[in-house]
Order: sequence, then C-alpha cells, then structure tokens
Amino acid sequence: MTGAPLDLRVKIGAATLKNPVIAASGCYNRGEEYAQIVDVGRYGAITLKSVTRSPRLGNDMPRVFPTPGGLLNAIGLQGPGIDHFLAHIAPELSKVPTAVIASVAGFSVAEFAEVAALMDGLPNVIAIELDVSCPNVDREGQCFAADAASLAAVVGAVKSRVKLPVIPKLMPNVADLRPIAQAAQDAGADAVSLINAVRGMVVDVANARPMLANVSGGLTGPAIRPIAVHAVWEVAGTVSIPIIGMGGIETGNDALEFLFAGASAIAIGTANFRDPLVHVRALQGIEEELRRRSVASVRELTGMARTTQAKAGSH
Amino acid sequence: MDSSPRLETATLVSREFRAPGFWFLKLRCEHVARHARPAQFVALDLPGGFAVRLPLGIYTAQDDTFGLLFKEWGERTTRLAALPEGSQISCIGPLGNAFAMPRAGERVVIVAGGLGVAAFWMLVKELKEASIDTTIVLGARSAPHLVGREELAAFGFPFEICTDDGSEGHRGTVIDRLRSLPRADVLYGCGPGNMLQALCGLADKHGITCQVSLEETFGCSLGTCWGCVVSVRRGSGQATGYPRAPGESRDLDFARVCKDGTVFSSAELVWAS
Ligand SMILES: Cc1cc2nc3c(=O)[nH]c(=O)nc-3n(C[C@H](O)[C@H](O)[C@H](O)COP(=O)(O)OP(=O)(O)OC[C@H]3O[C@@H](n4cnc5c(N)ncnc54)[C@H](O)[C@@H]3O)c2cc1C
Ligand SMILES: Cc1cc2nc3c(=O)[nH]c(=O)nc-3n(C[C@H](O)[C@H](O)[C@H](O)COP(=O)(O)O)c2cc1C
Ligand code: FES
Repeated sequence: MTGAPLDLRVKIGAATLKNPVIAASGCYNRGEEYAQIVDVGRYGAITLKSVTRSPRLGNDMPRVFPTPGGLLNAIGLQGPGIDHFLAHIAPELSKVPTAVIASVAGFSVAEFAEVAALMDGLPNVIAIELDVSCPNVDREGQCFAADAASLAAVVGAVKSRVKLPVIPKLMPNVADLRPIAQAAQDAGADAVSLINAVRGMVVDVANARPMLANVSGGLTGPAIRPIAVHAVWEVAGTVSIPIIGMGGIETGNDALEFLFAGASAIAIGTANFRDPLVHVRALQGIEEELRRRSVASVRELTGMARTTQAKAGSH
Repeated sequence: MDSSPRLETATLVSREFRAPGFWFLKLRCEHVARHARPAQFVALDLPGGFAVRLPLGIYTAQDDTFGLLFKEWGERTTRLAALPEGSQISCIGPLGNAFAMPRAGERVVIVAGGLGVAAFWMLVKELKEASIDTTIVLGARSAPHLVGREELAAFGFPFEICTDDGSEGHRGTVIDRLRSLPRADVLYGCGPGNMLQALCGLADKHGITCQVSLEETFGCSLGTCWGCVVSVRRGSGQATGYPRAPGESRDLDFARVCKDGTVFSSAELVWAS
C-alpha cells in the first residue's frame, strides 16, 4: 500500500478531526499569536483556554518557573468569564483555521453545566473539554477529577445540556485513575483527555520562600511524559471511549508512544513554547510510522503496544 | 518586509567576554536585525533539554546582525555563553512592543540599572538621529558590572555613572542621582523591579512622562500562557479589558509583559505597595 493516501482522521465521539494532533488548553489561546510564525491550521484542533462562569484575575506573580525538562505554572485560570467570552471571543472562532475544542472550568456542577451549555453550537467548536482539576465547592473543596462521584455528576449534568461531544480532562494526582475514568465513561463522556499538569513546587533557596506566589503549581513538559504515558496505558485498559493523550509531547516519537499506549489523539501544550513547529513534527512522525508499518489509517496505531504486549503475554 | 516576529535560525558570529559572567554576543539574523525596535527581545531555543525559550533583549542591531548583552544568570544563559562561534540558534523575534519616541525639543533621561542597559542601544541611536537632548544614568553594583557603556558611549551623550559601592562614579543608586539632575521631560527606565518602582514613583510625583521596559519570568514568550503578567490600571489600553472579577475591589487588570509590553507607561502600572 505504499503511495496510498494516509488517513489521519480520528473520531472523538460524533466529531471527526482531520488529524490527531491537538493544541492543549491554556497554551495556545486561539492560535493567533502562533499564526504569526507557523501554520496553526496544521493542528487537527485547537483547545481554548478554560473558561469559567465569572471573570477571574488569576494568581499573583510569579506564575511560571522553568524546571529541568519542564515548566511549573500556576496561572489560576485568568479569564474573561463566559459573558465576555461569548460577546468578544466566540465571534472570532470562525477565523481559527482548524477545528476548535472549547474548554470549561468550574467550581460546581451547576457552573459546568451552565457554561458548557453556552458553548454548545459556537462557530467551529466541535467538542467541549471539561477542566475538572478545580475544587468542588459543593463537596468541601474535593477536586472533581479526584472523586469519581463528583466527576460523574459533572459529566452527567453537562451531557444533559449539550449536543457536542464532552471530554472530561483527568489529572494524574489520584491514587487510581481507572475508577475515575470508568465513572466518566459511565456518566456518558464521549472521550477523556489526560493528563492535566502534575502538582509540584519549587523553593527559591536564595530568598527561602516558595518560587510561585501560589506556592504550588502544575508541572508540564517532557519531565512528566512517562507519567502521562502510563496514565494513558492504564485508562486505555479500562474504558472503551477514545483517549486524548498529552503530557510532554515534543516529537513524533513521543506522539507515537501515546498512540501505542492507547490514545486515539494527542495534545501538545508546553512544547509549543520551545518549538512552534512541534505539531508539524509530530504529524510527520506519525505519517512516517504509518508508511513504515504499511498502515493506512492512524486509527490502527491506537493501542498497538497493548496488542503486542497481549500477544507476548499469551505465550 | 513584514516586521512581525518570525521563527528564524540565527548564526553566532562573535562572542566577547565583558567581565566575569558577562557576555556580548553577535548573531546574524537579517529579519531580527532589520526590524528590531527599541526594547524588543528575542526568544532563543538553546540545546540542553530546556522546556522553554530564553528571552533576551535585543541590544545592538546593525545590517544583518544583532547583539545580546547578558549575564550568566542560570542554566540557559550559561549554555548560551558557552556556544562556539558558528553555532546555529533557533530564534523567534523581534518580540514585544517598543519605546515611543519623545517629541522634538523634549529633554530625555535614560535610567538603566545593571543589565537593564541592554534595552537602550537602539533607543539611544534613534534619539541621536533625532537630535534629542539625552542624558544616560547607568548604575550597577560595582565598576566591573557596568557593562554596555562601550557601545552607548559612541553616541556621545553625557553619562552619569553610579555604583552601590562607589568603585566608580557616584556612590549610590541611579534614583538618588536622578533626583539631583535637571528636570527631564521624558524618562525611560529598565532594570531591577525596585529601581523601576522608585523611578515610576518619582515620575508620577513630578508629572513626568515615564516609560519602563519590564522583565518577568517567561513561559511561552509569545502571549499564550499568561505566565508573565503585570498589574495595570483597569481600562489601560494594554490590559485584557475583561470585566471585573466578583469580589475584586482593586482597580486593576493584568497585561502580558511579553506581548502587551515589555514597555509600559508609569501612568498605567500598578505597583504592589
Ligand atoms: C524580555 C526580557 C528581556 C531580557 N533581557 C535580558 C538581557 O538583555 N540580558 C540579561 O542578562 N538578561 C535578560 N533577561 C533576563 C533573563 O531572561 C533571565 O534572567 C532568565 O531567567 C535567565 O535564564 P537562565 O536559564 O540562565 O536562568 P534561570 O535558571 O532561569 O535562573 C534565573 C535566576 O533565578 C535563579 N534561580 C534559578 N533556580 C533557582 C532556585 N531553585 N532557587 C533560587 N533561585 C533560582 C538563578 O540563580 C537566576 O538568578 C531578560 C528577560 C526578559 C523577560
Ligand atoms: C501555562 C499553562 C496553562 C494551562 N492552562 C490550562 C487550562 O486552562 N485548562 C486545562 O485544562 N489545562 C491547562 N493546562 C494543561 C495543559 O493543557 C496540558 O494538559 C498539560 O500542560 C500537559 O501537556 P504538555 O506537557 O504538553 O504541556 C495548562 C498548561 C500550561 C503549561
Ligand atoms: S510568557 Fe507566556 S504570556 Fe508572556
């Protein structure tokens, strides 16, 4: 089949992406800054920064600090709030040269449902991701993504209000991701994204105080990649809905690790900061692998390492 | 040619040791050199497994070559200082906004603390070309840290040198020195945060126009991560313009230093008290 056109399309619930490489939430705005220097339309989709019901100023400075192979951040969901978003940002979404995944963050089940419902049907928006790493004010600050019941409540409430595919985004700071992913699927999630940033901290030794004003932050970038790959592997063994894998992807090889571990699509955040062409490189790496293996569709790569391992295990 | 930032490959053409830990590097990159405006910066991707680019001010810019003046602060700057001539470095630039020029006949004082001097070569060149009366106040911890005046001296403007230890020029801070100079119409500043806060305080007190180029720890360097914000007055043209957050009584909004700055007017900035 050499020479046959490669099929890069992937399905996330009822939505189809032209390719499996997605810009991660909070790292790309709507792509307009990167559009000055690269072709952002090569992304299969761009995930918007998470939007909350009310405007948020976010955390005090410093908010970011580079670490070995990573970046620690505590932005604090700075954002316009849904009303300003609908009035000023949503009309611009039709100019984004690829599909858009909206992202919603919230502090209560009702907030998620209300904001997600307002995102449903916006131009170019093909799915809604739920940033469930916030504390749930209805349940004593328990983080939604750390509690199967809270997560199920959010997913169920959002599903009942929106038509678009709904993608809760799981975080790695839990004892066991599998029951949480299962709860998301049972509540009707069309896919799951993972992983969100890993909680971390840097101490400013010279001044004997935490480096970030928020004390702790989320670690992202290549430093967290093995944690993320393993999370995808575990969740892929548990649920049947598609997985969007992310965490430290910088190359085509990294992207393939996630696909082989069980992801149907991958997202790239921090690596854009260093290499704005990372999405093109990831795509090229995936295409080369398809040719090398004489496989026509990227969908056949999903879980390939699982199949190999299962075969090895059966001997 | 379009002056918006581009992803380019720059070639390191020369490296000059200035003082222990201080370097002046020249890089060939026509797009950056031809389009750089005063106080703009580049974001460099250095080898060594760093997750984010290193932002450095564009110091000099001539023909197809621009200069960087920097200190070995940490790992990335140390790595940059060790690169051999001929190295190819991935470079995004020119980034950020720029100092606005004064009106004809206005008197300018430039106040630079430490490596803040790197923000001023292009501005000084334009002030010279516009025949603006300019004084340059340079400050550093001690004499060996007074890097950068070699290039600035070529324009012939008067210098006021200040060192904390009195090893050269006036003993004391640039702000102390500024207080004893004739009143300026326009102030420009770049340097440590506490120096800029004092400078803006002085400018506001005397009703003098003041522009400062700020520095923060950057993530993306392009305006997408919101990691580099500074507090500005609500309604400021550089701010987000987002509605006020519930329960927020302070009259402030945020702006991104990398994208909306690095240059801000003292009238717009809100400093922590
Ligand atoms: C727009 C802009 C323009 C700039 N222009 C210039 C310029 O022209 N010249 C120049 O010299 N600099 C400039 N800088 C500053 C420079 O980018 C920063 O100092 C940058 O962080 C240096 O990167 P690094 O990897 O070498 O050091 P980093 O590793 O980022 O360290 C930076 C500082 O933090 C300290 N640090 C690191 N880790 C720790 C820790 N765990 N505990 C306590 N302290 C720690 C280091 O000792 C050092 O003082 C500019 C910055 C910006 C934003
Ligand atoms: C500066 C920054 C801001 C982020 N903001 C959000 C956000 O608003 N919502 C969200 O779901 N994830 C957010 N993330 C997490 C990323 O989407 C992604 O899950 C994580 O960074 C791991 O991928 P990476 O290593 O490729 O960056 C943010 C990450 C960074 C670095
Ligand atoms: S460094 Fe990312 S927005 Fe400024």
